[in-house]
Amino acid sequence: MTGKKLSGAEIVVEELKKEGVEVAFGIPGGALLDLYEVLYQTEEIRHILMRHEQCAAHAADGYARVSGRTGVCIATSGPGATNLVTGLATANADSSSIVALTGQVPTSAIGSNAFQEASTFTITMPITKHNFLVTQTEDLPWVIHNAFYIANTGRKGVVLIDLPRDVQANRVEVELHPEDTFPGYKPNINPNKVQTKKAAEVLANAERPLILAGGGVISAGATEELLALTELLGAGVVTTLMGKGAIPESHPLCLGMAGMHGRIYANRALNECDALLALGTRFSDRLTGWQLDQFAPDATLIQVDVDATEINKNMPVDIPIVGDVKLALSDILKWLKKESIHEGSVWLQRIKEMHSACEECIKDIWRPGSSVSDILIKELNNILDGDAIVTTEVGQCQMFAAHYYMTKKPRTFISSGGLGTMGFGFPAAIGAKVAAPDKRVVDIAGDGSFLMTCHDLATCVENDIPVVVCIFDNRYLGMVRQWQELFFDKRYSHTNLGITPDFIRLGEAFGCYAERVEKPEDLKATLENAFESGKPAVIDMIVGKEDKVLPMIPPGGGITGMIGTERCKRV
Amino acid sequence: MQTRVISLLVEDNPGVLTRMSGMFTMRGINISSLTVSPCEKEGLSRMTVTIEGSESELENVRKQLSNLIEVIKVVDLKENESIIRDLCLIKVHTKNVEARTEVMQLAESYGAKIADASLNSMILELADEPERIERFIELMKHFGIKQLFRTGITAIGRD
Repeated sequence: MTGKKLSGAEIVVEELKKEGVEVAFGIPGGALLDLYEVLYQTEEIRHILMRHEQCAAHAADGYARVSGRTGVCIATSGPGATNLVTGLATANADSSSIVALTGQVPTSAIGSNAFQEASTFTITMPITKHNFLVTQTEDLPWVIHNAFYIANTGRKGVVLIDLPRDVQANRVEVELHPEDTFPGYKPNINPNKVQTKKAAEVLANAERPLILAGGGVISAGATEELLALTELLGAGVVTTLMGKGAIPESHPLCLGMAGMHGRIYANRALNECDALLALGTRFSDRLTGWQLDQFAPDATLIQVDVDATEINKNMPVDIPIVGDVKLALSDILKWLKKESIHEGSVWLQRIKEMHSACEECIKDIWRPGSSVSDILIKELNNILDGDAIVTTEVGQCQMFAAHYYMTKKPRTFISSGGLGTMGFGFPAAIGAKVAAPDKRVVDIAGDGSFLMTCHDLATCVENDIPVVVCIFDNRYLGMVRQWQELFFDKRYSHTNLGITPDFIRLGEAFGCYAERVEKPEDLKATLENAFESGKPAVIDMIVGKEDKVLPMIPPGGGITGMIGTERCKRV
Repeated sequence: MQTRVISLLVEDNPGVLTRMSGMFTMRGINISSLTVSPCEKEGLSRMTVTIEGSESELENVRKQLSNLIEVIKVVDLKENESIIRDLCLIKVHTKNVEARTEVMQLAESYGAKIADASLNSMILELADEPERIERFIELMKHFGIKQLFRTGITAIGRD
């Protein structure tokens, strides 16, 4: 015992400090007055006042994805907590580590429909890895310790702690910094040696080995092992959206993102491989397409995932491996002989040819027949050169970025994959910039998405967080419009956004740097101006109203049935 | 589709039941029977869940349940390797002496207890395998069932 009485709010902050929390994104409220009173007096934790709770969650998410640490967001009871929901669901869907603190009405008032009361505990149950409703101040040290432990171990995720007012206010004498955890929570970290040996044998004997790198590679910090295995095996690598950055995309064996809006060569490699090592991926429908029998039909499938529930869930697996991707890869590397296995193989040549075809296309910025969007995204890729942190909104802008932006490092491409949350990219960029203040942070946005969370430009200006928002401005909800064009006979039902707002004046109203790009050739100078201004910036890039993200797998199609491949080089 | 009995050892915290049942709701699986009670360890509860589903659905459910933080153990109880019991209370019409006598005889042959009796009705209590209870209920329908209560299935694995 410390011998000293602490209030619940003081205990919360002490435990946050112990967990190494440096920053929290939040908005105070009536049910959080006690906690904010303590935060006011705490220098170790920087609090960034957001303008909407959804953005607080997205910012914590962006911070977590860039730093690899647990992001913290705070919201008050009732509407504060319900506003968090989208952001928490987004983070949890992409296994991003967040601890959310919410205020709650006093325990005596719970269930009485009190002012700003909502049952945050039950509302957030299905969208969190775990959640707590704390009813006794004494429980706080244990709850907070376990919240961080659960959020950032195993398959990472969101943990929410609901804090009734009286629990924050009560003063108790407790032991801080407990160590004990839930008896039922034991992440399956260590892979089975028999399984990794089997996997190594299959990979060594395969003629056409391919690695599918998902977000789990980045989350596990396994990029070095991935590169080593790729080069040792002479395997091709394709990634999921979440796996972008797991391997430098300029690597001659990397074919980039596969799937519905993936690169044609990545999908082809999936179709042709005879052994597929899937790492930290859940085979989402956006990766596999709708015809599962077309997905890696000739391959012996090895799946590594720290979450046993993902094994065999969407794809039948030949060799399941439950465990941490980094440890599994280390084991597989140990089982394999040291010399390069597939050097000079036909497959290796084919992968390299397909890689070159892809890189050629991306570097050929002004290729005839390109849309303005194509040119802008390639130009953006060229200017940023893999050295920035890119976040994306959701829709066409996201798929342009996923398709054409060449990542070099892990944790530099941040996108809402599982939930597909419009409005994610900009607040995530705020979190990203806070995590990596020395990096240039660019949100690749659409006008539809950006309007969903643009109010947090105020947060950027007030807190001097200079992120740059590049808007693909087509005045449409572009991806839905694209589907309506291709599959609904151009009946643009409610996808036309009209002409408002003027994004330049909007940016300037908040005190941002703002400039319009009417011609793609002006992008470079405009971006330089934006970075040099040192301010948060809004760049309004006017693109073709009917620009499309192609190629794509049409609805109902399989991975071999991409449409819009006319401009892809035959390899 | 097959019936499966799953036994869960869980922490006795508020919300555990919601978490567990929510997992089934999200996957569109109906719980046909559920019992929750304290067990041999303090602070822990045992839940016995009976569901219907395909083999792969059940496999997924088992893994998803294991993933819940407050679930300590998940056991798939196979029929031939476990003792499965249900308890039912039935209120049956016994309007005349014949009916009363017949009900009492049937109850005796099934090992059901007479928990209460009035001139017009009897309350019978039977704890047994679910199938035998079903058969007993079928017989009692002949006399007219006023009310029927069942606790739901509880089960224990054999050594």
